Amino acid sequence: MNEAILHLDFGLLVVATLLGVWRLAVGPTIVDRILAFDAVVLCAVGFTVLLSNYWGSEHFLELILITSSLGFFGTVALAAFLRRTEDRGQSGEGRVRW
Amino acid sequence: MSAWREWLVMAFSLAGACSVLIALLGVVRLPDALCRAHALGKGMTLGLVLLLAGLWLSLGWERAGLKVVAAIAFQFLTIPVASHLLARLVFENSYPRHGDGSIDVDRTDRSERAQPPSG
Repeated sequence: MNEAILHLDFGLLVVATLLGVWRLAVGPTIVDRILAFDAVVLCAVGFTVLLSNYWGSEHFLELILITSSLGFFGTVALAAFLRRTEDRGQSGEGRVRW
Repeated sequence: MSAWREWLVMAFSLAGACSVLIALLGVVRLPDALCRAHALGKGMTLGLVLLLAGLWLSLGWERAGLKVVAAIAFQFLTIPVASHLLARLVFENSYPRHGDGSIDVDRTDRSERAQPPSG
């Protein structure tokens, strides 16, 4: 019973990750792509949580922390660089738009 | 591990995985980037916190300790902040929105202010 529920959780997270990858590929603006990247990284964190639940191991907690912080700092860095680019583009005629 | 605890772990894990899936469904289905940031910020926070709570119950205090609590606090801190950063990026740069694209706030869009006067 426990195993079946965990396998169902893995299946749900696989579907969620595939949806995020679809948005990452399709997303009309750059913000959608950053958002989908964040979503996929957080799905990877969820996979790590489920795997440590599955194996009954506590050795992946640092991996959970490191992966989620990497996703967060990646998102912040992309947003900051994009903000700077858009600011510079607004002063002139042609605004930068992906 | 007692039986009720196992059931609780299963319930938390299932609820967390369902919430993550609902968040990603929102990211795929909602019409513009502001709505998608909203769906990701709420649903993903709830889902990951539920998954981590299930892991905490499954491992127990002796093995998991405060590290899972730190991870839960980190999710609560970072995911809404990232979602808010992206939403502010959309708001300030007048990315395409659904509907008529108007937001009732008491400040003008920065991109509208930055436009040169016509004529």
